Formats: sequence, structure tokens, C-alpha cells
Amino acid sequence: MNTRPTLELLDIRKVYRGGKVAVDGLTLRLGPGLLGLLGPNGAGKSSLMRIAATVTRPTRGHVRYAGTDVVARPDALRGVLGYLPQDFGVYPNLTAPEFLSYLAAAKGLSARSARGRIGELLELVNLTSAGRRPLGKYSGGMLRRVGIAQALLGDPEVLIVDEPTAGLDPEERVRFRNLLSDLAADRVVLLSTHIVSDVESVASDIAIVAGGRLLRRGTPEELLRDVDGQVWELTVDPAETGRLQERHTVSRIVRGATGVRVRLLAPVPPAPAARPVPPDLEDAYLAVIRAAGAPVPQTTGGSR
Amino acid sequence: MIAGLALADFRDRVRRPAYAVTLLAAVGLGYLAAPAADARWVILDLAGYRGVYDSAYVGAVTALAGAVWLMFGGFYVVRGTIRRDERTGVGQVLAATPVSRVAYLLGKFTSNLLVFASMTGVLAVTALVMQLARGESRTVDPVDLLAPFVLITLPVLALTAAAALLFDAVRPLSGGLGNVTWFFVWMVLAIVSQASGALLGGLGMGYIADSARADLAARGVAVSGAEFGLGLMNVEQPLRTFDWSGLDLGAGLVTERLGIVLVALAVAALPALWFHRFDTARATGTPAPADAVPPFAPTVAYPGLPRTAVRRGSPAVRLFAGELRILVQGVGRWWWFGTVVLVVVGLAAPPAMGLLLAGIWPVLVWSRLGTQPVENNTSGLLGAYPAARRRLLAEWAAGIAIAALVGAGPTVRMLVTGDAGGLVAWVAGAVFIASLALALGVVGRTQRLFQALYVPLWYLVVNDAAPLDYLGVLRGGPVPGLVAGAGAMLLAVAVVVSGVRHARR
Repeated sequence: MNTRPTLELLDIRKVYRGGKVAVDGLTLRLGPGLLGLLGPNGAGKSSLMRIAATVTRPTRGHVRYAGTDVVARPDALRGVLGYLPQDFGVYPNLTAPEFLSYLAAAKGLSARSARGRIGELLELVNLTSAGRRPLGKYSGGMLRRVGIAQALLGDPEVLIVDEPTAGLDPEERVRFRNLLSDLAADRVVLLSTHIVSDVESVASDIAIVAGGRLLRRGTPEELLRDVDGQVWELTVDPAETGRLQERHTVSRIVRGATGVRVRLLAPVPPAPAARPVPPDLEDAYLAVIRAAGAPVPQTTGGSR
Repeated sequence: MIAGLALADFRDRVRRPAYAVTLLAAVGLGYLAAPAADARWVILDLAGYRGVYDSAYVGAVTALAGAVWLMFGGFYVVRGTIRRDERTGVGQVLAATPVSRVAYLLGKFTSNLLVFASMTGVLAVTALVMQLARGESRTVDPVDLLAPFVLITLPVLALTAAAALLFDAVRPLSGGLGNVTWFFVWMVLAIVSQASGALLGGLGMGYIADSARADLAARGVAVSGAEFGLGLMNVEQPLRTFDWSGLDLGAGLVTERLGIVLVALAVAALPALWFHRFDTARATGTPAPADAVPPFAPTVAYPGLPRTAVRRGSPAVRLFAGELRILVQGVGRWWWFGTVVLVVVGLAAPPAMGLLLAGIWPVLVWSRLGTQPVENNTSGLLGAYPAARRRLLAEWAAGIAIAALVGAGPTVRMLVTGDAGGLVAWVAGAVFIASLALALGVVGRTQRLFQALYVPLWYLVVNDAAPLDYLGVLRGGPVPGLVAGAGAMLLAVAVVVSGVRHARR
């Protein structure tokens, strides 16, 4: 039996000044493994992440780690927490090792382990060669990697990462996914994103939120089962796509030489020519969002 | 186009909490301008007289107070608009539009002026309330009441709005150095332009003084050689009153004041000659674009998780070193060179002189205390780190270390000469300075607050204001225990405010 402590977010509600409800009675219990938090922009994901990371206090509800109320005693979690916010700044005239050294001291690491881990983490995020350059001269993606390194400084038991792949190039995204897979083996990892492919390959557990509420939680397989037999593809005249978008949840549009290939969700075949296709996580996500009445992101067309 | 820019910028400022504070400050200033009949402090002393509190006098004296003090404090309120556009990226968006440099600058100038106009409006309403509250005249004359604000206050503030913009557009003055410089610029301008014959009427004191002299002379009061004083002053006995005939709103006065506005417009447009229009390649002091600097780093294979085990230790010294590094990050070589000179001079010069120099040289470094997480947007990151109070104390200690460094010369000298009293006073002073900077930084979340308050405080000590001598360089100053106690209280304020903010996160 796994005895690793759990992170519990119980009946969380967050109302900002001005009355904006960001999170509305949301409950999540997280054990070891990676929970992918998916939702459209403005769903309340970042607010929930900040609450889980003790940066923001909930208006109502409890956050418990290993049974301790971390709203009242945040340092109980902060000592074992790694947190990468969606937006963060750095001290532009410090180098990455100097910045990480300061943060390691803030975490209470010994000088020796700080030195060792900083070197290894810079190698991990592929920044060893840029170590002497001030952070002010880093690109957005490099700063993101510094952020990832700082989140791992204290070998955290709980890792909370908010839109971690924003600004990373494709190779770095793959590296980061590998890293997350390793970390999720024995730690609590909470990853928030609105990019479905970010969680597709690494999450064993997915929670879909919108309007500050939890809409659906399950394994990728369970979510896929929800839309099994409801995903169709058909090729239509370009003039037809608008009509299809009005009537169905369209998850993909690809323009080709013979017309427009449309992938959509429908309980029954939308047209005689439509053929059923195996669902992917993006279809499952859109189905949940559409069922809840939340705005579905505009589908963008590709061309071949 | 200019109006659109100005309004957008003005709306952005109005919706910040700091704006309400500036309006409250205007109300406070209006209150100070019309003290009670038996008060022993005044803003304007006309050789032992003041006007009866009617619309003309209350309006004029409040407008004059507004011109003097908003010119000083208002500068710090409105400045930084170009840097803000630079920081937020709005500047680059605007740079890609047809907005010309002059239009952009005049839009920013107008926005500054709108902030001042709103503060002046609040001041005028406060003047009306004060007139009625003091009850010496119940007759409200809107023209007599408002004309001084339009003709005395606003032109001076237009010049201040333009100066703030000019400082923003001149790279060396766009930061803390500009804030410190403005105190001295303001002081010189305030002194020079109080005279009756000041260029374009100066602050406007001359208009009031000349007509008050004539009115008092008509009453048989000889004031030709007597001095009129402007500023917050103590008086031995309450001022006597006379009926002041009000400002002479002639063409000459209006022309002179319009002249000031035209000068302000010219000053505001002047930076168009060199303004870089947010082109980072032309802006000196801006880091080179990231892509141009780092060479391509080949992607290496994923090396796996770090193997070094985490051990907890005693991080106090490294935390202090980190805070010190953050505090002096980006400080130019000229500052370090000046510090070395200061230390050497301090070894040879009398300790009092060395300490006075040490008390002002690091003002721009001290002013960073308490503001760095906000200014560098690291609050969100650090919010999830433990022991916030420990970090704050390390930051405070770094501020004291800076004082110890620049004051090393006089410290050695006092040690050699056995001046234990002076040494203790300097230690108390260093504690006070670091605490003041930290408290103001934490409360205000901006460097400007410390820069605007500390420089005048230091200047008063230089000018022998013994009761304020926090450096222990004057006779009759407070005992070191009192200075250190004040420092401890300020440190406590910083800790409490930071703790409350953290708890209310």
C-alpha cells in the first residue's frame, strides 16, 4: 500500500475583489501520480493552482497536505513543494546559478546539496552553457526552464506546474514530458494546461474544469470511453463547414485538395458519408466542455 | 489621438489604489492651508498677518500650497509613465501605430496633467469646505475661489508634468537618480520663484504678496521690509487678520501664466528629439534581445532526475548573501568607484562629514529594499517558498551591510579615536535607515516613496535640524537609543505589513 501523503483541495471557492468567482466549490484529492488539469482560458485553473501552492488563500474551503491544514499553516507544504507559476519574474542581473542559489537558501537547503542540485538541474533543463549569462538576457523559453529548475530544487514531494510548456520549443517539451513522467512515479504532480496534447502522454488522471467547477475527472481511457462511437470524419465542400460547425462540435478541420476534412462529435452519423473514427483526448475534452455549456474554443483549420 | 492616449493612460492610473491616496493627500494639504484661528502653525505668514478666510484668501493660499507641495510630491506621483509602457509592452504596440513621437509625448503630458488637475480639483473643493468650516466668511465667490487654482496651481503643475516626462525620457534621470535630483531642482525652483519679480510669476507668491503688501499698507501696517514666509511654519502667536482684496486678475497675470503652460508644452515635446520610440536596438541600457545573445545550445539527452539528495542546513548566511546580491544587482561601476572614494575620504575627513556622505550615497540602493519582489515580479514565485519573514530580515540585514560598507571610513576613524558615542550613534543610524527603507518599500511597493522622503530628511540634517539627526552628527540630536528604537518600530511595521499581506493572500 502506498503511504505517500495526499494533497486535498476540499470545496474550494475563490471570489476576487469585485465579485468575480474564479473557483466555485471544487474538490480534488491527489495522491502520487500526475493529475492533468484541463480547461479553457479563464476556467479558474491558475487560481486553483495558486491556492494549491499556498500563494493565494481560498475564500472558502480547505487545503490539506498529509492531514495538515496548509491554509492556516502554509509552511507545512512549502517545505516540500515545487511550484512553477504561469507568469513569474526573475532578478535580471543575476545569473541562473546565483538565482537558484538564493532560492535554495530560501528553501533551507544546505550549501552542499544546493550546489550539487543546481548543477544537475541546470544540466537537466539544458542551461549549463548559459550559466554565466544574466537572466535578463535569457529568452522566454530559457526563463521557463529556469522556472522548472527552481521548482525541482528541493526535490519536492508535491509539484505544481501551471502551463509549464508555454514558450518551450518542441524538443524541450518532449524533455519536460519525460521529466514529468519520472517525477510522477512517486510524487504528487498537478499540471495545469489548456493544451490537451501536453497531458495526453503523461497524465494518468485528468480533471476538466470550466467556470471554476470540476466537470469531469477520470483516466484518459475513461474519458475516451465517454465519446466512443461519437467521433466522425467526413470530407465536405468548403462552403459546408460553417453549417457543420453550427450544428456539431467540430474538433478539427483540415483543408485538402479534394475538399475539407472535418472531424466532429455527434451521437449519430452527421451525414451518410461520415465514417466513425477512434476518439482522442481532444474529442473527449471538447465533449465535456460542450456538454457543460462552456464556450468551445474556435477550431482552426490546417491545410495540406 | 493625443486625447485618446491621455485618457487611456489617465484611466489606468485612476484605477489604481495609489490614486485614492494622492487625492487624500490633496485633501490633507487643503486642510493644512487654512489652519484654525488660534493655530500656532501656518502655511503663509504675511509678516504676522493672514487674510480673513473668505473665498479669495482661502482659494489663493490653498492654491499656493498646492503649487509648492504638489510640485514636489506630485512629480513622484506622475512620473514613470514611459517606463511603464516599456515594461508592460504597450510601448511596442504603440510604436507600431501611426502615433508620432510628439503626439505620444503630448498624450503622456496630458495624462500627467489630468492627474494633477484632478488633485487640484479636490484641493479646490477642500478649500471651499475649509472656508465654510472656518466660518469667517460665509459668502462663496466661485471666481475668487477657483481663479487661483487655474492661474497659480495648474500652470506650475503643467511644468511639473512636463518635467516628469522629460526626466522619464532622459535615461540617467529615468530612475532613482531622477527622483533624488528632483528634490534639489524643486528646492531651487521653489526658492527662486517665490520672489515678486520671478520669471512668468514663478510659483505665484509674488501676486499674493504684492497685493497683500498694498492692502496692509492701506491699513497703515508697514510691511515693506518685512518678509513673507511660505511653507509649514510655527508661529509664536496666531496671525492677525486683514481683508485681502484678492488676486488682480489682469491681462498681465493671465499672459504670464499662459507663458508657463507654453514652456511646459515645449519641455514635454522636447524629448521627441531623442526619444527611441521603444526601439530596443536604440534604447541605451536595454539588454540586447535574447535571441541575439545566446548561441544555439544543442539539445542533450534527458539526463534523468538529479541524484544529489536534499539536505536541510542553515541558510542564513547564503540568504543574506543572496539578498545583498539582489540589492546591488545592476549597480554601475561608477557607484562602486564612488563608494571606494567615500571610504578613503571617510578615513581622512572628520567623521561627521564622512557620515553625512555615507548617509546619502547609497540612497538608490537602500530604496530598493522591500520593493524587489514586486518590481521584478518574483512575488508569485516566492509566495510558495517557506520562511518569508526570514527573507525579509535577511533583506534588512543587507541594507545595514550597505551602510556599513559606505560608512567604513568614518567607522574606522571613530574606532581609532575611541569615539564610542559617535560609533553607537552611527550604528543606530544604519539600523534606522535600513528599517525606514524596508518599511517604506514594503508599504509603498515602490522605490519612489523612500527616495522622496529620505532625501529631504537627510537634507534637513545637513542643514542642522538637530531633532531629526538620525546620523548622530549634530549636537542636541536624539539619543542613539531613540533612533534605534524608531528603526526597530519601522522594522516591525515592515514585518507586520508583509505578514498581513501574506496572510490575506
